[in-house]
Amino acid sequence: MRTAAVWLIALVILGVVASGCIGGEEANTSKVDVQLSGDFTKDVLEIGKVLEQNGVKEVKFSAWGSGDPNSVMRVYGIVEAARRINKIWADNGIDVKITITETHYVASFQDAYEEYLSKQPLGQAGDFFVNSYAFLPTLADEGYILEITDYATAYQSVIDDFYPSLIEASKFKGKLYGLPQDTEARPLYIRKDVAQKIGFDLTDLDEKVKNGEFTWSDVYYWAKKAKEEGAAEWGLIHRKGSAHPDLIQFIFAFGGKLYNPNNGKLVLDVPAVYKWLYVEWKFARDGLLPEDIMSWDWAKQIHPAVVEGRTLFDIGGTWYWTEWQTKQYYAKDGTPRGLKPEEVKEWFYYTLFPAGEKGGEPVTLSQPFVWMINSKAGQLNPKYDELKDVYHKLAFLMIIKASDPDINAIHSVISSHLPVRKAAAELIKDEKWLNDLKSLNIDLDEKVKDNIREIVQATVHPINAQFLADVSYMLEYTHLAPAHPKYPALADIFKEAVDKTLRGEMTPEEAVNYIIQKVKADPELAQNVEIQGEVPKDWKFPQE
Amino acid sequence: MKDVETRPKRYERVIILALLLASLPLILGFSLLTISSLSTNMVTNLDPDSFHSTLENWINLFKGKIATTGGIRVNIWRITLNTLVVALGVAGVVTGISALAGYSLSRIDFRGRKILMVLLLILHAFPGVALIVGVYLLYRLTFPQSHDLVGLYSFIYVILARAALEIPMSIWLMKGFFDTIPWEFEWSGIIDGASRITVWRKIMLPLIKPGVLAVALFAFLAGWQDIIYVRTFLIHPTLATFIEANIEAEYSHMPLIAAAGTVYLLPTIIFFITAQQLLLQSYSGGIKG
Amino acid sequence: MRKEKLRDLSFFLSPMVLMVLLFYLVPLIMTIYISMTRMKNWNVERYLTEFVGIYNYERLFYMFQHDPTFKAVIMTTIVFVGITLMINVFGGLSLALATFFINERAASSYRLLWLLPRMSPIAVYSLVWYYFFHGSEIGTLNSILMSLGLISEPIPWGQVTPWGAWSVIIFVNGLVGVSFGMIVFTSALNQIPKELVIAARVDGASSWQISKRILIPMMKWHLLYVLTWQFLSLLTTYPHLFLLVEWDLVNRDYGTTLALYVFNTAFGRGEQDQGLAAAAAVVLSIIGVIGGFVTLKVLQFEKMMKKPRGDF
Repeated sequence: MRTAAVWLIALVILGVVASGCIGGEEANTSKVDVQLSGDFTKDVLEIGKVLEQNGVKEVKFSAWGSGDPNSVMRVYGIVEAARRINKIWADNGIDVKITITETHYVASFQDAYEEYLSKQPLGQAGDFFVNSYAFLPTLADEGYILEITDYATAYQSVIDDFYPSLIEASKFKGKLYGLPQDTEARPLYIRKDVAQKIGFDLTDLDEKVKNGEFTWSDVYYWAKKAKEEGAAEWGLIHRKGSAHPDLIQFIFAFGGKLYNPNNGKLVLDVPAVYKWLYVEWKFARDGLLPEDIMSWDWAKQIHPAVVEGRTLFDIGGTWYWTEWQTKQYYAKDGTPRGLKPEEVKEWFYYTLFPAGEKGGEPVTLSQPFVWMINSKAGQLNPKYDELKDVYHKLAFLMIIKASDPDINAIHSVISSHLPVRKAAAELIKDEKWLNDLKSLNIDLDEKVKDNIREIVQATVHPINAQFLADVSYMLEYTHLAPAHPKYPALADIFKEAVDKTLRGEMTPEEAVNYIIQKVKADPELAQNVEIQGEVPKDWKFPQE
Repeated sequence: MKDVETRPKRYERVIILALLLASLPLILGFSLLTISSLSTNMVTNLDPDSFHSTLENWINLFKGKIATTGGIRVNIWRITLNTLVVALGVAGVVTGISALAGYSLSRIDFRGRKILMVLLLILHAFPGVALIVGVYLLYRLTFPQSHDLVGLYSFIYVILARAALEIPMSIWLMKGFFDTIPWEFEWSGIIDGASRITVWRKIMLPLIKPGVLAVALFAFLAGWQDIIYVRTFLIHPTLATFIEANIEAEYSHMPLIAAAGTVYLLPTIIFFITAQQLLLQSYSGGIKG
Repeated sequence: MRKEKLRDLSFFLSPMVLMVLLFYLVPLIMTIYISMTRMKNWNVERYLTEFVGIYNYERLFYMFQHDPTFKAVIMTTIVFVGITLMINVFGGLSLALATFFINERAASSYRLLWLLPRMSPIAVYSLVWYYFFHGSEIGTLNSILMSLGLISEPIPWGQVTPWGAWSVIIFVNGLVGVSFGMIVFTSALNQIPKELVIAARVDGASSWQISKRILIPMMKWHLLYVLTWQFLSLLTTYPHLFLLVEWDLVNRDYGTTLALYVFNTAFGRGEQDQGLAAAAAVVLSIIGVIGGFVTLKVLQFEKMMKKPRGDF
């Protein structure tokens, strides 16, 4: 028995020592370096020459992405960037080629993140990883993604073309770790046909929303009217879900906050959260919002209710616009079908998420996706130890290329996400370009063309491009959920509280206390969350 | 085969009917899944209007498309092959090891036998899935430096690690099967001077075929359906990880998932039917021999 | 003779010992060690030496004490394990016996049918029951009951607390476990010499009497085995619950067992806290081991472990 114990202890010690050695060996080789100048062609050529001199003929990279089925440019953008760089090399007689060995794309971005986490340390994760900005701080903190601050200084002009808030979202502790890939807004959709029946005048509504004149009290008023007059079954339908409750827009709309930049802690803004839950509670109690909305089915209940006009208001996302066209949610004439662009335009009005109270600011919420580079990028290639820096710079140039305005614009149009840089926003307004895209008469990799052909057929339409142009202004009002590692845990508690309030299991005040109790129950969460303010006792909704 | 000759027919019908009633939710649930794979949207209630027949999902699946409109293509055959390799590997390792250990626990008396048996049972108390933290660390420590070996090693490791989870159960099962074989069969061999190893190989293994098959079937299914080990250790995707990663409540086209799920079930059904035949044959063979 | 026995034993047992060492003992020790570090996000290089003592255990027990939903979790665990265990064992036994007494073709198809839950990928399996028990009129069960006129409004099955939620999770997990018992018992039945059954039949015994007097007593060992094994695995299972809760089919508080609670805390939503998960694994293991020993004692396991025949 004793010998066994000794053996076991020895084994553990061995394990610890061995793991300490991993990565501890520094190969004593001369490092090759190239300087980035900011002139893309020149930099690519220089890297190409260095690779050629070192006998590297093929550089292999892999791209990992995730998201809805229309967002595949998240990985095909990398494929196209590789083709464009290859072309530069070929035109200048450099015999080097980038091959994208794997385009790994799954629906669930959460799954993709988990897979990256467990496989990156083994050196088996993709060289390019596009995912929500929310994961960036953790990945950066663990050293799983490449810091590109220095590389980016040479390309300041490109960086400056991105919307500044999105570049901020790609940073961790002031250092840049990625380039924005896409973003979106979450408008309040209003059924025009239902509004008309109840005499709800939508002219200039977006202006009234913008200046804080039209608030949630007005939403309540019209929702109630629509329900009472039988114009619609529901007054309001909203999103459900846990990973990222869009409903936190309410917190911002009531002037609350979620993050304290001074001490880096999350904030539980009690008055704002209370008001949010109160609104939900009131809507549900008056039968304007289904009290079991959190367990509604997306494809069979939520979307059909909206596209078939069974509600006046809907809090959704910009991507709904094309989703309603590509998915068969509308079943009023028997066989389910997608909507026509003209129908979407005719039936839906869209505006910002209104302010909670008079004089407040309207809001919207974005969750940008970011191109990130694996900190081990290029490691499957020859002479990695010597050429590491060259490979990393090449990877950086690839995401610069993948951010080309046209690639970004294609992605925006076919997936109804918003462009991340001004040049792309200009492009989607260009009718000629749009027509060329529709017929795929553009400079694009054949394989990529082949794979996005059907999506292009279904989504490229002037109405859709116009919609994107129209909602772009919303980014000025956008808020981001804090990219704090503990935020998802807090969001999860919020979702629980909303569900209980909607079902009437708890009053808004009880729900707020429930949230506080849940936060305090986990010492690590409690340490990271600052609880501010108190329940406003004399607050009323709807306001007169 | 069983008590065929004397069984009253009347009872049989009652039993079959009772079983049918008990199985109704299962039949319904899985039929709706299969039907949905042939429809443009999920058929979930008994409303025939919600069924709109199409072969689109199946065509897309075999093309390796994970969405209705375009998008990414995957090599679905390669993914199926990966799944098969893992499942067969687990089945092989588990069956081999448990046939060896089961015999010795059933037939040989040695010091520590009792402790070993209790230990094996208790091993199940360790949540394999949570133990994964340690299993991962071991993986990290033994991970090969050479990139050529990585793919192979990840297969070997996931097979061994997953097989280990099945081993305590399988050894117990196998021991149970050995216990039912009368001692006299073996005795004759030992009298002839054969060693225990020879007796095990020549006499016992053929007799234990039903047990071997039952254990192999279980191990195969465990390997075939594993998700957590495969996702954490295997470099390549399997059907389970593929389906899991592509079910997203908000925007996945569920009928396509239904088709993938149906495909996922097919090989196992075939495997089970053939194994069931074998199980019965070998049993009747064994009793005569 | 001794030398020979040693050779035999090492031939038969060494592969198993090796596996147990490699994949149980070593990981277990590593898990215990990791539970005392700040390990997260699989970053071994960085956190392996960041020793925090019993911090993870303290955090876990603090949550157990202060979380308002924890009481529901414990209740759910007890009810879930208790009832599902009974369903698994007796359901499996009934299925095995029932299919034993009917003709082979029908028996085969039923066994196959009942194996489906175990063979399905968890996500697909959850999807089937998600639609079946959905709390609105799109749910299969609701639509049947409504068309039969038994109910006029859809019942939100998984949201009726506590028993609605419990019934759904017990049903969904019970079906998976039943097939295990069924296979073990069926194999056991096939090993029983059929002369015994035929002889009893000739004497005029009914199926029920045959089961009670002959078959079940001969399967005692297997019963014990299924009972203990299922108990332990139910205690630590969560994958079949995870998506049902995630998709809001069942109420979160009454659909979450201890294992799932721990999983969600350690791995839920973007956080990957292996230190905490390891601590929880150790706690669950201890509960499991104690539970295992108690079951073995209660069931008088010692008595059933006969000395093997055939040793000389």
